[in-house]
Amino acid sequence: MDKFNRYLVDFAYFLKTSVSYQQKRRFFYNILENDDYKYKKYFDIFMIILIFSSVSILIYEVKRDVHDYLNMFNSYVISMVFFIEYILRLWISSSVSTVIIHQDEYSDLLGKEFSLWFVVKRIVRDKLNYILSPKAIIDLLAIMPFFHELRLLRIFILFRVFKIFRYAKSFQTFSSVLASKKFEFFTLAMFASIVIFVSSILIYVMEANDPKSPISSLYEAFYWSIVTISTVGYGDVVAVSHEGRFVAIVVILSGIAVMAFTTSLFVSAFTEKLEEIKENKTILDVSKAKNICIICGYENIAKEVAKKLINSHFEVLILDEDEHRVLNAKKDGLTVLDYDPGAIDSYKKLNIDLSTRVKAILCLREDDVENVYTALTVRSLSKDVYMMSLLINQANRNKLLHSGVNEILYDKEFIGLVVKEYVGQPVAFEAIHEFRSEDSKIKIKEITITERIVSTTAMVKELENKSLRVLLLGIYKKSSKRFFFNPLEDTLLESGDIILVMGNYMFIKEFEKNLAHK
Amino acid sequence: MKSVSALIFGFNEYGLEIARNVNYKYKDITIFNLDKSEFIYAGDIDYTLRIFDLSDDWEEIEEEFDMEKSIIFCAIRDEAKNIFLTISLRSYFKDATIISLTNNKEDANKLKMAGASKVIPIVETTAGIITDMLKKPIATEILHNILYEDSELKIEQVKIENAKYFEKEFPADINWSERFGILVLSIVHEDMSREFIYSSKSKHTKLIDGDILIAVGYDTDLKDFQKRIGG
Repeated sequence: MDKFNRYLVDFAYFLKTSVSYQQKRRFFYNILENDDYKYKKYFDIFMIILIFSSVSILIYEVKRDVHDYLNMFNSYVISMVFFIEYILRLWISSSVSTVIIHQDEYSDLLGKEFSLWFVVKRIVRDKLNYILSPKAIIDLLAIMPFFHELRLLRIFILFRVFKIFRYAKSFQTFSSVLASKKFEFFTLAMFASIVIFVSSILIYVMEANDPKSPISSLYEAFYWSIVTISTVGYGDVVAVSHEGRFVAIVVILSGIAVMAFTTSLFVSAFTEKLEEIKENKTILDVSKAKNICIICGYENIAKEVAKKLINSHFEVLILDEDEHRVLNAKKDGLTVLDYDPGAIDSYKKLNIDLSTRVKAILCLREDDVENVYTALTVRSLSKDVYMMSLLINQANRNKLLHSGVNEILYDKEFIGLVVKEYVGQPVAFEAIHEFRSEDSKIKIKEITITERIVSTTAMVKELENKSLRVLLLGIYKKSSKRFFFNPLEDTLLESGDIILVMGNYMFIKEFEKNLAHK
Repeated sequence: MKSVSALIFGFNEYGLEIARNVNYKYKDITIFNLDKSEFIYAGDIDYTLRIFDLSDDWEEIEEEFDMEKSIIFCAIRDEAKNIFLTISLRSYFKDATIISLTNNKEDANKLKMAGASKVIPIVETTAGIITDMLKKPIATEILHNILYEDSELKIEQVKIENAKYFEKEFPADINWSERFGILVLSIVHEDMSREFIYSSKSKHTKLIDGDILIAVGYDTDLKDFQKRIGG
């Protein structure tokens, strides 16, 4: 790795471990994007006030002279606030340091050279993704009035109104629901357009030469059609000839049909499509996930596993075709899809690469037949995805193994082993199980040794774990795929090795920081 | 003479798995079941099979087994019957070790109240193991081998009977790996309170006779260590 890359990686680690930098980043993320952050609503209200002030000034100056201070406020102050907001959003949209660190760890793990080109490409791609998103485009256009000397750009103040969409969540939901009926709305618009077009021409042909008729131009004919089909009927422009009135009857009837259709579209969009939109949203979220655990079947053990995985910050997706179990999973606040885990189509719909994006597929139906079927389905789609399956009846162990399951989970065997240990060493058993419980402050952690760590910490004695009150249980050597318990002080550390440490979680954090900072 | 035995209530896969795993310690294993007809699935197993009734007053068992040294497992699949069995056994055998299995947390509390010495929640235990396998695969495998399998590494609880050996030292300051070739994970005091080896208390409190050290190491190192400081 050349010098520049080394400095770049060092700087990325510095940013990643810098408490003040991360705190600031987190703060801006929360205030701009995190709906659960309690102060975000105040920021949103502040921005909405700015938007309305800006638009009010625009309306006010149509017929009156606006004081220079107000113009200055509108053109510079508000634009500057929007500009700063735009830059902050661009900053938090993706983490540059994470991309560099991931590339560093990736190259360490595979023993490849650090690729600066890949990093630059990834960063530009991430940032462009944000810049080209509709919301970011609106944000950018809303800054344009800053160049107030260009009169044309003043109209961009109106884009500030669109910015409200960013701060009002209900608008977003509303537009997404309507978007689900795009085709129907398009069909309706086409129908209305044809009726308006035909009726405009017909009424013009029939009325334009009649001196009593107020319709003397094609524009007036078009205006009449719109007013009539929308069932508004101002009455300022009316058909006077018999032929014209006949056309009016047809347009009025069409108008009723258009209005009824529009109303029913709105209603059905909300009643029918909301569930579908939720499902699409789930699939979208799943497709973005990098290390998701897919649990097939939601019964007792699956329920507990899902809870524990979520507590450990894993992303979890439940697949189950049983309505009652799906409802249970939803009630438990889980991401769930009403899909058959045994159907190939279910995984195709997810649109993810099972081998690279899925951490594990867990067949947790309390039924061996279902688990074998699911396992075979999954294995037919991906040979590499890691798969675990519950075994209910010992007689079916071989069937599960043949179906391609990597790990068999036989609860009776687990219980037998637990009992064996408890009977033999009850005190040690309780101690170890206390450490392994989620509530315990003493944690056992696996830390991967990267090339960067090796460059500063070559041997076990340089880990300085004892001074940080961390117990080194052993090293899993990547090269020999063996675990070395209580390694000697002069044991060499190699990139890709995993050290197994135990201690208070705060000291372990400190120990990890210490390794990264050296 | 009364026999020391493992008494397993419930002739099912859990009961048989328990029998298989405790036979290294209890040579005499008796499996009780409510329904005699289920014994037809027993095949050629080595355990004594007997039927029982929840209304039994356990006199017969008391006469036959040394209940202070024996161990009881309540593994009936019907939760209500299992709780009833636990409370019934506890009311008769005040000092017996009763280990009860349950499916859910709700019943775990009831079993505790019924007097079980240890409750093993099946669903929670299984889910915990599955989660650990995904979360920390290496740590889980190593611990699994240390705890359950016949690996070279062992975990031992070593009771200190010669605290003078560490008279001038605090446990956190002792280099256990260098001196004894083992790692001490925690200290269990006589009141059964536990301390991690590098906790603040271990830095300021000396070891006394009766403390138990939870140590991991190779069999020979652990035996050697036991010879030096404990029983």
